[in-house]
Amino acid sequence: MAVRLASSFDQTIEQCVDAIESLDFADASAWKSAAAGRALVGCFPVYSPVELYHAAGALPVGLVGGGNRLEISHADSRFQSFVCSIVKSTLELGMTGKLDDFDGLVFHSICDPARNLASVFSRNFPGKKIEYIHFPQRIDSADAVDYLTAEYRRIASWAGELTGHAPSADDLKSSIRLYDAIRANIRRLYDLRRAEPNRLATRELYALTRYGHVVPPEQHLQVLYHAIDELEVREAKPKDRARVVVVGSFCEQPPLDLIASVESAGCYVVDDDFLLGRRFFSKDVGELSPDPFVGLAEAYVRHSVDSSVKHDLRYSKAARLVDRARECRADAVVVLTAKFCEPALFDYVLYRKALQEAQVPHVFLEFEEKMWIFDKIKSEIETFVESLMFA
Amino acid sequence: MAEILYQGRLHHLQKELMAQYYHELTESAEGRGAPAAYLLIGGNPVELLRAFDILPVYPEVNALQLAVKKQSLGHIQAAEGMGYSTDNCAYVKADIGLYFSGRVTPFATIPEPSLLLCNYVGCNVYLHWFDHLAEYTKRPAFHLDVPFIRTRSGSPTADDVEYVMRQLRQLIEFCEGITGRKLDEEKLRHAVALSSKTGELWSAIKHLTKRSPSPYDAYFDSVTMMAPLYCLRGTEQGLQFFETAYEEYAAKAESGEGPLDRETFRFVIEGPPPWPHLRAFRDMFSRWNAVAVASTYSTVGGLWEFGFVHDPDKPLVSIAEHLLRWNLTNRNFLQRYDQIERYLDEWHADALVIHSVKSCRLFSAGQGDMRDYFTKRGTPTLLVESDLEDPRYFSEAQMRNRIDAFFESLAHRKLTEV
Amino acid sequence: MVHAAGVDVGSTQTKCVIVDEGRRIVARALIDTGANVTRASERAFEQALASVGMERGDVACVAGTGYGRFKVTFGDLQITEISCHAKGACSVFPGTRTVIDMGGQDAKGIKVLDGEVQDFVMNDKCAAGTGRFLATAADVLAVPLAAIGELSLQAKNPVRLSNVCTVFVESDIMAYLAQGKKVPDILGGIHGAIAARTISLVRRVGFEPEITFTGGVSLNAGMVRALEDRLGTRLNVCDDSHYMGAIGAAVFALERALVTTAGVA
Repeated sequence: MAVRLASSFDQTIEQCVDAIESLDFADASAWKSAAAGRALVGCFPVYSPVELYHAAGALPVGLVGGGNRLEISHADSRFQSFVCSIVKSTLELGMTGKLDDFDGLVFHSICDPARNLASVFSRNFPGKKIEYIHFPQRIDSADAVDYLTAEYRRIASWAGELTGHAPSADDLKSSIRLYDAIRANIRRLYDLRRAEPNRLATRELYALTRYGHVVPPEQHLQVLYHAIDELEVREAKPKDRARVVVVGSFCEQPPLDLIASVESAGCYVVDDDFLLGRRFFSKDVGELSPDPFVGLAEAYVRHSVDSSVKHDLRYSKAARLVDRARECRADAVVVLTAKFCEPALFDYVLYRKALQEAQVPHVFLEFEEKMWIFDKIKSEIETFVESLMFA
Repeated sequence: MAEILYQGRLHHLQKELMAQYYHELTESAEGRGAPAAYLLIGGNPVELLRAFDILPVYPEVNALQLAVKKQSLGHIQAAEGMGYSTDNCAYVKADIGLYFSGRVTPFATIPEPSLLLCNYVGCNVYLHWFDHLAEYTKRPAFHLDVPFIRTRSGSPTADDVEYVMRQLRQLIEFCEGITGRKLDEEKLRHAVALSSKTGELWSAIKHLTKRSPSPYDAYFDSVTMMAPLYCLRGTEQGLQFFETAYEEYAAKAESGEGPLDRETFRFVIEGPPPWPHLRAFRDMFSRWNAVAVASTYSTVGGLWEFGFVHDPDKPLVSIAEHLLRWNLTNRNFLQRYDQIERYLDEWHADALVIHSVKSCRLFSAGQGDMRDYFTKRGTPTLLVESDLEDPRYFSEAQMRNRIDAFFESLAHRKLTEV
Repeated sequence: MVHAAGVDVGSTQTKCVIVDEGRRIVARALIDTGANVTRASERAFEQALASVGMERGDVACVAGTGYGRFKVTFGDLQITEISCHAKGACSVFPGTRTVIDMGGQDAKGIKVLDGEVQDFVMNDKCAAGTGRFLATAADVLAVPLAAIGELSLQAKNPVRLSNVCTVFVESDIMAYLAQGKKVPDILGGIHGAIAARTISLVRRVGFEPEITFTGGVSLNAGMVRALEDRLGTRLNVCDDSHYMGAIGAAVFALERALVTTAGVA
């Protein structure tokens, strides 16, 4: 498909930023109305098996809440004040008509409020097809792959009902190839940033990654190739900044300006878990099994990255975080979590213990997606960076 | 208002039995008793543990007992000192605080676990809780992953059942490893048979409150019966307790006795109780002669009143069924609406009270929608907020205000209906 | 002529209203509650009586309401202020179907039918949306509390508040002043944010006309306008809006007195 690519890297980024900050899902709606038999599937965080919906002929759209442009005035009557904002803003998107074009929505077993949100959506939007995926938590058992394969077949069949086309094995293989390519390119960009953070700002990397939430994957891939080409020739002087790993923002997302503020406060973010669901595998899915349904399930069970919404009794996530910080040659870890995010708050306790024992400097900060004044949090980061620089 | 005596013969029997149970815990802690397994209340496969003579220990029960005895705050604060957030579930904090303080409570010394059985039955916090305990205790841990009820039909899929069955067999192997003994199939069958009869009795007891006056309060008195239901289910004493409970309450039902002098209002109540302020909370309803005739909280560990019973001829299958479908936590939020509707209709209740607790998002997240649903359906609905474990979130004056205002208006409506 | 009284004991102020059997207000009193709640309720009652030369014996029935209602030791009834605000609002504005009450420390929405509470919702956990928030803002801006409403109406470019937490309103306002924002614009933004939050709260019981606005904050013309603009409808407000709880209590007391009198007669 023809995509008009921006003439410069900066323009590419701004194109991505515009797309991700809009609450209209204009690209997705335009794609849907361009041909018959198309459907939109909204995917709540963290990880959703987007290949399944794509293979059925639908466009998977990442739902990441309403950001700081959506005032919540209806959904807060349904969910309490001690529930994270993304649950409420997602419901608010629905209640204010922004999800009218969506045919289906998928939720997952990431935490308790998100699970209840699926039910609240079902009741309030009876015309929408709502699904819920239970991801296995017994990651170390062979049965988990069998179980998840069966679950994926169930979901694929549901996706088929939306479009009228049940995905075949070949359809799925083709979708997997496409998303494998996207993930590989995002990995390349992450590798580049880790090696030379002066050449790729986190704000830019974030915009490029998140662009894939709101446009067709074919278009996303084109933009990624183009961006990588542009980056080859981009130069920028390295600055004297602290190298940090940022964890905790895998579901509700900090505002883009806050992400930029982390770096402008004196950091290079060399690794993060922003939008983790789109970067969930350490290997290509396509090579895992001749049966693509099994391959996709195996990828989740055996080759997925650590996350606060996964539990594996064999390893300590906290110890692996320390390892990751060392591998990235990070000076510190920034735990940046959404307020009221239970999984992140629980993990933080073990992270803190491990980081203290390993003598890795770290700081804990909370944000809300609806923030748009960052003075306080910015000075906290600046203070932290100063303490690193003068340590 | 004269001081109401809520405690009757059954309460004293419960205290005795639970004291025995706690004694066993202390024995185990001091190296003289059975190996102890920590497990969670929602969908608990306690019959399997009993078949291995493993002592079931429920951190949730320990936490709530601490709260009732007004000893939870210190442990919660100790946990917060370790980095746990004010927004983390206070059951977890109280338990972790207790663990690091030496595990001594006024009622028992809690043993170190020989096994951490994380039965993941809906509640995601369970997973984090036991991950942390595994990290701190360094003891063997087992995840029992029970797929959530997410289908339109409200039933588990065939694959769900198969997955759970496979895991139960693995759990048996795991327990064989820990105890050094093979599973005694007859013992398992017997434990399941006892559990089955217990469940039947519990169901019959629940149905007694359909009468007017209700012979007991299905919230405040149910919580008394819940501890033996989890800690002693699958044992002879457990069964005897429920036989006694049924006798006592059936007799009261026959003679038209209730827990209060008069029964003016019948309500269904959703949500866990404010354990640190249980008595004060109960008084707020008693002053209006309001009695709970059904509660969702009393079905956290098992839902028997709609016909489910364990089947001793199919022990593993029925345990799997119980875990998957017949407990509140693994059922979805809308199934809870249905459950409440059945209570309102079949138990002839005037109103719904939702007690929203900050700690437990499984219960609470979205109760505003529940309130909206029932209000629009025409059921007078009251929503009050506090916490189940942390005493700091209970604001007595404001709670009383809301409850009084609600029953004032209900009283008016009753008058005008007449 | 039968008279009845209502005493509304709030945490900051105590109000007393005496009505006659036509439900007309014949006397009112408003004092600071202070530390001794019982004493405050007695003083308010005495002041109201004295203002029209009445004696205690002239009042057939007294109802206490507000947080301190159980401390009104001379009261014949104790009724929550939710019920009293509903009763009072319907007494003054018989077409009332929704009540928005914004007091010193809490905010409520009440759905009413024929003077009876059908449903209610309260914010009693946090000061946002209450008089406390506005008082804090007024302090920081060094504007008399009584003047902030009118001043907010002069806003040309109301600021957008990042949150409505009373604890942080001081630093937020300082930040705006440092940015050179004008006081009316800051006040305009504050009133708007509070109005939005209150509407979000009351929406849980639904907005059915007529909507009556009660409580101390209802005397703030800026808040009235901020709510009306967002709701797209006029609100019932009266000079006695902050006495609404006491009025309702007095009406409850009157109803009881008339029933008793009828029973006797």
